[in-house]
Amino acid sequence: MRLLIQGMGVVGGFGCGTDALASALSSGHCAPRNASVKTSQGPLDIAVFFADASRLEEFVNKRSLRRVDHFSKMAILGSYLALQDAGKLEEDRSRMGMIIATGYGAARTTYTLLDSFVLDGETFASPTSFSNSVHNAAVAGVSTLLDITGPGLTVSQFEMSVASALITARCWLEEGSVDSVLFGAVDEYCDVLGYCWHRFFGERATSAHDMDPFNLDLQSAVPGEGASFFVLSRDDGGGSQYGCIENAHLGMVEQYTEGPDGDNTIFFIGADGHRECGAHYKRFLSGHSRTACYTPLYGSLPTGPAFDIAIAALSIKSGKVFPSPVKNKGPGNGADNEGRLPDSGSICCVKISNRGELGTVTLKA
Amino acid sequence: MTVKEKLKKIIIEELKLEEITPEEIEDDAPLFGEGLGLDSLDAVEIVVLLEKYFSVEVKSLEEGKEAFQSINALAAYVEQRQTQ
Amino acid sequence: MSPGAVAITGVGCVCAPGNNLPECMESLFRGERNFGAPTRFVSDNAAAFPVFEVADDLASLETRNTPVISRTGMLSLKAAFEAIGDSGLDRESLRSKRVGVCMGTTVGCVMNNETFYRAYLKGQDPDMADITRFLQSNPAAVVAREFDLTGPCQTIVNACSSSTDAIRTGTLWIKSGICDIVLAGGADEMSHVACTGFASLMITDSSPCKPFDRDRKGLNLGEGAAMVVLESEGVRRMRRKGARAFVLGSGASCDAYHLTAPHPDGRGLRRALGEAIASSGVETKEIAFVNAHGTGTQDNDRVESGVLRDMLPGVPFLSTKGYTGHTLGAAGAIEAVFTVACLERGRIPKSAGFSNPDPQLGVSPAEREMEIRGAVAVSESLAFGGHNGVLVLVMGGGPT
Repeated sequence: MRLLIQGMGVVGGFGCGTDALASALSSGHCAPRNASVKTSQGPLDIAVFFADASRLEEFVNKRSLRRVDHFSKMAILGSYLALQDAGKLEEDRSRMGMIIATGYGAARTTYTLLDSFVLDGETFASPTSFSNSVHNAAVAGVSTLLDITGPGLTVSQFEMSVASALITARCWLEEGSVDSVLFGAVDEYCDVLGYCWHRFFGERATSAHDMDPFNLDLQSAVPGEGASFFVLSRDDGGGSQYGCIENAHLGMVEQYTEGPDGDNTIFFIGADGHRECGAHYKRFLSGHSRTACYTPLYGSLPTGPAFDIAIAALSIKSGKVFPSPVKNKGPGNGADNEGRLPDSGSICCVKISNRGELGTVTLKA
Repeated sequence: MTVKEKLKKIIIEELKLEEITPEEIEDDAPLFGEGLGLDSLDAVEIVVLLEKYFSVEVKSLEEGKEAFQSINALAAYVEQRQTQ
Repeated sequence: MSPGAVAITGVGCVCAPGNNLPECMESLFRGERNFGAPTRFVSDNAAAFPVFEVADDLASLETRNTPVISRTGMLSLKAAFEAIGDSGLDRESLRSKRVGVCMGTTVGCVMNNETFYRAYLKGQDPDMADITRFLQSNPAAVVAREFDLTGPCQTIVNACSSSTDAIRTGTLWIKSGICDIVLAGGADEMSHVACTGFASLMITDSSPCKPFDRDRKGLNLGEGAAMVVLESEGVRRMRRKGARAFVLGSGASCDAYHLTAPHPDGRGLRRALGEAIASSGVETKEIAFVNAHGTGTQDNDRVESGVLRDMLPGVPFLSTKGYTGHTLGAAGAIEAVFTVACLERGRIPKSAGFSNPDPQLGVSPAEREMEIRGAVAVSESLAFGGHNGVLVLVMGGGPT
């Protein structure tokens, strides 16, 4: 069963909204900002694609957001933008379900909670921070503000979160207990994550500024954060400017078999500059020539695939493939420069983990 | 700073009531429901704040219920326990 | 059997009452409550809040998982081994099928190691082993790796309803034909951060919890894991395996009300329970009992009992959290497995911790062990953030 994409909302390093994403795709450029990592040798600079959720105040008054953390703010903003884009802000949402995919959850609040008691003692633990630190707080926040009373789910599967969660979204719509699903993916950057990058990737972590994803032997990842939300419904034949999600699949790279449109599909590769995934991507790419990659526009985050889905939807809407903003064009460097969608209109978004797990989400016009 | 003034400042800052000034919080106005409009999650956060800023322990929510009615009640609760 | 029914061909469970399901059930029916001061972490206030720990340190559990994994991951595998063994499947037979894994957890997906963080705050360089272990310990991924499974893999973090939602999700995957088999369940280890967090909300009891009791003061935390093997009828009949039970129907909803408090009228639970019963095709008079969420908090027990009183009047209900503590992400699966075992036994144990009816509730849980009438039961969960998950289970028996 195909899932119609009725609307979408995005916020990330490229800015806020699909126009900002389209603009970044056209210019082929997005610059990260500087952050500081606390290390035992003193502070080090790190580049980060930060997401600014301040536009949320266009939709929700500040007072209602007083306890809401950055993770939930990005989710709420993505939700409002997606519903607005779908023309569904005024509709009843009692038959809408909600799913959020996240790699690390409300990471900043995890540490805000620890800050409140880990040095000073248990009695100082903040109940508000605790309540916000549970991964499903974002679904709670969105559903409360938008009165979404169908089923709710938060899925956490690192890089496979998006593909995994979409499998369930599809089942919900197939089952018929909901008529639409507000599907989103959120991940945030936090200081501890920056520190972990410094420890795992050393100098390459803090010097990385321009991602070079198709240079698969290089550690060039730049951390990113953001939210990507979609209003999904059963394909009732009405069609959508953004096309449909045909399929979401999880498996292993070595077992991947081509779909029926294999030759006539363009693959959006979710390689995001992590060297330890390089070998697995090489294996996948050896069989595929029509590829594109957009991770330099939003950075490296477990739920990056949702940005690729948004870009695929924008490609379907515009009828063209945007040039990949990459230094080294990779094996498929001819195809994406042509700028045309394949005849099948099929785009497959691919994400591979460092263990060779493969998540694919296929869109079609 | 009096206990009441300190309480107002802490509540505004820690509960992130940014748009309110201490002067706008009336001493006898309800804190929960109407008035300031705080809820059950704010109540338990205030319990932690009393511990943090006044070293006053609230042993149960029932015990705290009376105290949390207003700034006046809260200040009286704190002052009573601080002399103990 | 309704066409939407999904078979449960194997079950496994580990929690404070016991290391496997038979041990747990014997303990429950003996009325034992294995609580104590926490031993798995050091607390400022160790004696303050009793917890329900799993005695086993799991050191002797043999797994193929060569990277070191968290205790939550180990608990997941313990329950998985029992469930798979119970189902008559093994590694070979699993590898030849499309097998999905769906697990619920709360603690298992949060990187909140205090030793690591304290060292980081102090400007030191902590050992990265804690981070590496966390990255290797996603519960569903741990199970999938152990058995070389390549079907859909999903860890659900829906707070207290996580594993009820995981079992429900597994049934949907089977019904939509994307899996032949789903290993569905949940796991959560005892966590100092969780204990501290719940205490800060002032909803923990400093004595053993009293679900639905007039004098209840809150919950106790517990740890554990449980798993069910869900199987499509095609595969089950082909290998002539009897079902221990069937998931006849399920329902889920959001209260859309508050970050921590349930909707005062239980509107979300009413909807989820209604949908579960409707989708199961049973009538309320066929329901033998309800395994309630029953945490022992003022809010949960008041709201939940109100819904049960209105929608299932006269149907016996109990909370088993007086035996297990609140196992967070594992609770739904543990209680589903207990529900299956109670249906088979034809009896439910008393609702542990209950002595005094609460006149405000108007209903009381099972005050003593009792015989149940009927083959159908309900297991339900209400979570922080307003999630409600409900399963309707019917006893199995026989190959077809």
